[in-house]
Amino acid sequence: MLHAKIIDIKKEKIKISSAEKFIASSKFGASIFFIGTVRDNNENKKVTGITYDSHDELVIKSFNTIYKEVNKKLNIKDKAIFIEHIKGYVCLGEISIIIAVACKHRDQAYVLSRFIIEEIKKKSPIWKKEHYENTDNEWLKGNPIQTN
Amino acid sequence: MNIKLELFGSSRDFSNKDFIEFNFKEKCTIKDLRNEILKFIDKKFNGNKSYKNLVSVSAFCSEKNEIINNDYKINKDQKIGIIPPIGGG
Repeated sequence: MLHAKIIDIKKEKIKISSAEKFIASSKFGASIFFIGTVRDNNENKKVTGITYDSHDELVIKSFNTIYKEVNKKLNIKDKAIFIEHIKGYVCLGEISIIIAVACKHRDQAYVLSRFIIEEIKKKSPIWKKEHYENTDNEWLKGNPIQTN
Repeated sequence: MNIKLELFGSSRDFSNKDFIEFNFKEKCTIKDLRNEILKFIDKKFNGNKSYKNLVSVSAFCSEKNEIINNDYKINKDQKIGIIPPIGGG
């Protein structure tokens, strides 16, 4: 069971309560919430916020691909996965991504959560532009997209 | 033939719009499109090395949301997305 969505910050809010609702089930004994937030420094620069850009359709496709890979590589049959990523300008301390997973046992849940965020970093076309205290801004370098 | 290059991430610095349009007299490949973008950088940004490097390392995406390689043939008007190196999450 997968929920995958890009949240345009100008139109709606990203909410942990939505994730809680989606993964809630008495079938599962372990839940993990990974919450990514904007921090105030990077490489000795004072960050004031981040603008996230995304190729929405390709991102959703990548989330579905990652879900299929979970089935193949991790062999965790019963699970719920909730992924939402923000798009637009995000202030310090605010949420950029929620990955919520639920499955039967804690070992599976930890592995699953880590697997998803690492795969998103490799496969989901999302970009960050950091904004700094001195009003400068900069797109972060990133890595070439991986398709398999 | 008109190709509308949709801009994402750092390639957004190439234009004030979300896209750049390129015209080709006949069918072309992604390799040809990449070369045209490099010529565009030469002309508009005086050969900005960082922009040219970005074009060289970027991937491209078809209208069907598939990552396409240099040999991918374009034979009709369409939108192509440029996918610079990624770093979300």
